[in-house]
Amino acid sequence: MIEMALVVGLLAITLRTASPLLLASLGETIAERGGILNLGIEGAMLIGAFSGFLGAYFTGSLVVGFITAIIGGISTVLLFGILVIKVNLDQVVSGLAINLLATGLSLYFFRIAFSQGNFPYLGQLIDPTPIPGLSGIPIIGDILFNQTIFVYIGLLSVPLIYWILFKTSFGLRLRSIGEDPFVASYLGINVERTRFISLIVEGIFVGMAGGLLTISMFNTFDTRIVAARGFVAVSIVILGRWNPWGALAGSLLFGFTQALSLWIGTFLVGPAAPSISQLLSLLPYVVTLLALVVGGRKVRGPASLGSPFAKE
Amino acid sequence: MPLPLIFSTGIEEGLSKEASFSGGSEIDHFNDYALYVRGISKTFSNGVVANNDVTFGIIKGEVHALLGENGAGKTTLMKMLSGCLKPDRGEIYVNGVKTRISDPRKAVQLGIGMVHQHFTLIPTFTVAENIALVSSSSRKLELKAVEEKVRYVSKSLNFDIDPNTRIEELPVGARQKVEILRLLCQDVSILILDEPTSVLTPLEVEDFFRIIRQLKNDGKSVIIITHKVKEALSISDRITIMRGGKTILTIPSSQTTASELASYVVEGFIPSLKRVPTARGEPTLSVKGLFIKGDRGEMAVKGLDLSVHSGEIVGLAGVTGNGQKELVEALTGLRKVEAGSISLKTCDLANKPPNFVINSGISYIPEDRMRRGVILGMTISENLALKRIDKEPYSKNMLIDKEALDKSAKELISIFGIKASDPCATAGSLSGGNIQKLIVARELTNGPNIVIAEQPTAGLDVKASEAVHQKLLDLKTKGAAILLISADLDEIMKLSDRVLIVFGGKIVGEFSSDALDMEKLSKLMLGSE
Amino acid sequence: MQLKISKSTYRSILKSLISVALALVVTSVLFILTGANPVLAYYYMFVGAFGNFSLTVETLVRMTPILLVSLGLAVSFKCKVWNIGAEGQLYMGAMVGTIAAVSLGNTPVTLLISIALCILAGMAWAGIPALMKTHLGINEVITTFLMNYVAIYFVQWLIAFPFRSPDTLFPESAQLPAAAILPILVPSTRLHLGVLIAIFLAIPLVYLLMMRSTFGYKLKAVGENPEAAKYGGINIKRTMLMALVISGALAGLAGFFEVSGIQFRMRGSLSPGYGYTGIVVALLGQNNPIGVAISSIFIAAIYNGAFEVSRVLNQPQGIVDFIQGVLIIFVLSSESIMRFLEKKGVIKL
Repeated sequence: MIEMALVVGLLAITLRTASPLLLASLGETIAERGGILNLGIEGAMLIGAFSGFLGAYFTGSLVVGFITAIIGGISTVLLFGILVIKVNLDQVVSGLAINLLATGLSLYFFRIAFSQGNFPYLGQLIDPTPIPGLSGIPIIGDILFNQTIFVYIGLLSVPLIYWILFKTSFGLRLRSIGEDPFVASYLGINVERTRFISLIVEGIFVGMAGGLLTISMFNTFDTRIVAARGFVAVSIVILGRWNPWGALAGSLLFGFTQALSLWIGTFLVGPAAPSISQLLSLLPYVVTLLALVVGGRKVRGPASLGSPFAKE
Repeated sequence: MPLPLIFSTGIEEGLSKEASFSGGSEIDHFNDYALYVRGISKTFSNGVVANNDVTFGIIKGEVHALLGENGAGKTTLMKMLSGCLKPDRGEIYVNGVKTRISDPRKAVQLGIGMVHQHFTLIPTFTVAENIALVSSSSRKLELKAVEEKVRYVSKSLNFDIDPNTRIEELPVGARQKVEILRLLCQDVSILILDEPTSVLTPLEVEDFFRIIRQLKNDGKSVIIITHKVKEALSISDRITIMRGGKTILTIPSSQTTASELASYVVEGFIPSLKRVPTARGEPTLSVKGLFIKGDRGEMAVKGLDLSVHSGEIVGLAGVTGNGQKELVEALTGLRKVEAGSISLKTCDLANKPPNFVINSGISYIPEDRMRRGVILGMTISENLALKRIDKEPYSKNMLIDKEALDKSAKELISIFGIKASDPCATAGSLSGGNIQKLIVARELTNGPNIVIAEQPTAGLDVKASEAVHQKLLDLKTKGAAILLISADLDEIMKLSDRVLIVFGGKIVGEFSSDALDMEKLSKLMLGSE
Repeated sequence: MQLKISKSTYRSILKSLISVALALVVTSVLFILTGANPVLAYYYMFVGAFGNFSLTVETLVRMTPILLVSLGLAVSFKCKVWNIGAEGQLYMGAMVGTIAAVSLGNTPVTLLISIALCILAGMAWAGIPALMKTHLGINEVITTFLMNYVAIYFVQWLIAFPFRSPDTLFPESAQLPAAAILPILVPSTRLHLGVLIAIFLAIPLVYLLMMRSTFGYKLKAVGENPEAAKYGGINIKRTMLMALVISGALAGLAGFFEVSGIQFRMRGSLSPGYGYTGIVVALLGQNNPIGVAISSIFIAAIYNGAFEVSRVLNQPQGIVDFIQGVLIIFVLSSESIMRFLEKKGVIKL
């Protein structure tokens, strides 16, 4: 009985640690299906976290924080889109530039908003909201229905994104652009507009992914808060074969790894405990790399991913 | 209403023939034509006049062949009709109404659709998805409805295509059918097909002809761009010959023969032979029974044999698209050989990496200069040293001897007349013709065993072409073997000791320089023998 | 020595200057918004970097790791291999060098061996993502970035537990033995031997490698046109692998020099992000060793100058980060901006 409770707890934590990865990778899946490799997702999550924190802190309302996080995410991804689609700059380098810009801007403006030595934090966070009725179900109720709204949005978005990508005309057009934007353009599809739409959708998801870090998971902002989650999300997209269900599987896997290392840490005893506990923080990154080695080789993504396109 | 006949007048030996519409009010005739163009001209930014005052018409419900060689202007004309290009001058009338065709989508709306040589299908999508991409109007993807339509249209044409197969799983012939299918699903009434049989096996060609006849029966008009004379004769109602950007002649296929057509397509000329005959040496390059697959999965080279001996120039004559590109890529180590062998003297070269091929002494002047022959961001000297950068005198102990590099570059610049003020300027600053001179300079001065020259004088002026030709001849005298691939028959005639004709991925004829039968040669090139 | 500046070099220099100018203009706007006089701010920045001899030396000291990292990144970026793992390679080099130094103790070869090992560590740390790229086709941007986190967390653990200093309270390594410390060249400054090595050894060597060797030639060819390079007989994979490994070597060296010349023991706070700054500097210097050298002085000056600006004008910290962030966007767009200005006739070359 006690063991069961522990496992349930572990699985519940898994969903929460997976939520930023899930939201981010869903967003990135959409962008990459349109042929755009957005490595600036790390920076976009950072801005999402930052603007979410600012919104929640200065208005005292978590709802406002939620909205400002999304605005932050959209703005950053749109800036990336302008560089890559309008100015037609290299996608990889532009992504790196966005990451550096995000770090620079957020660090500086954080210091402006809160002077040196000040450690602002949110008094209240977005906590799990149990769904009435369903959360009472034994085991499943605790795992699935006693979660934060970010988890609910993430889980519900998986079939939604799948539907958009594979069951709508928009999705078909987007995917055709991802395979061959020249053919798509020839057939009369507005490549630019479709891509920008996909980026806006990505911005929404990425903004949420970043925002939840400050307004739900931790209660303050630091430029190290994203901790490579953006890049893990990009890896998840690859491992999940650019499919939202794959993204779900990947996010759960990594969320589980992270939850496991935290969980083990709390149970360790003995003199080696703090040592092993700290060493476990390596686990998610090592697992991601190993997963890429095992599952990332010679994968076939959208054929035009990362390639430049200019309408003739 | 009698079919208007268009004759040429004043046929003179060796001179080009002009076309003109015979008398009668042209305005009446507009309505007979599903599509009619007048005075169409198009010049590209590099100065090439692709279409020069072209007049052309297609009658509703006819199959019309547009016949000509490389560079005749056929594809350019059709691209303008299908909305891919815009004419500089001229008028287009669709069903008697003057229109402007701004893009491919507009063309389809007007009922005109083109199947290009490079298919515009998404390989990872299914047949139904590819068609849904252009026909689905609702937000929700109604694949079921599209599948139904595909099945229906397929059946009416006796296509055996499952709408749920992915394009990449289909053989090339089937993919072509999907392209046609897609046009029909968009209610296109004028279909333009660019070299449709170049990717088909003989059996598939039979089936293809059946489909064309069926389309005609359904009231569609079909334009087929081709260089194959026999094909034009067997399938079309009327044939228009294009040459040098002009329409030469339009004639009902029932009123002409293969020989006659071939003589119009290929301009007569006098071969000029200014060569020093050299004794032919041992075979340097031997190709036996080569089978190579093309980009679209079709077998592009089908059992090709050739040999080039030291001290000889072998010219490979043929219209582009008969396997030359794939052959060359296999010879330079960049395409897989499915079957057969390539040997350089005793060394086996098939399926070896480019590095190996280069070190064995094969020089290559590529047709696609920008992508394969030159690195625009590097200097002229640096480009001239490519392939030999690790060897002396360009470098010693891994350090580049810049002086030697520049000195060698200056020599080559002067010998080959490359218009460059400074060898330290980037190659990107050179004009197209000078870039070619750079590549030729580099490839011909490495002391190669064999040179593969692909369109070596394309874009060069007379003086420069002469210089290149002289260099090739000099190399030959020194004992090199040269394989010359060119669509310019003049060049082939001028330089070659032997001429091989390639058609359909095989060598179909061979002539030695002193026994050239021009008529036979042209017929072989066009498959009309 | 005759200095012939070709038109293309002149244009490249102009591009970098335009990026810098634009970044400074944007920063000026920021200064105004936060109530400071931009001219004054830049004045104090200059003073803070070069105001007197000892401040100038400090700027050179600050420049050293940035220079080493960016020289390495220039090699990698030249053939379009995007190594963003310099931070992790720096940390691993520093850690391995520290372990070697502490283990060897005071011997005449300690410094030499530590340096050799730190270079090897940087190379190995870069080699792993390099192999993943060439043999498995996995994007190096993802792998090198993840390796940063592995490195930093791993190092943090090493200095918190197995290699923790026995005589202090903080998680840091033991102090380096005297034999492993880079000698100070000018008394009462921090000008250590590493500074000279970076300026007088690293710059010429990388210059030789990139501009005069056959390897440099291949780097350029692969970066500009991989297909023509392939047709030209160049082994693309091998070139890319070596480029990544070389940049790892220089980053590792940068890391150990910071320990051996400045900190004297390994700490988790060793680098304020030099691995990322190096990216900006390499791109600003357009992957040219001389350009990179000048750009690293510039960035180092901003780093140190910013402290003065913060102090005197009561500006928040983080100006450097802001400038870097804005700068990289302008550096990226500089070619487009240049073409725009040329088209409008503002610039005529």
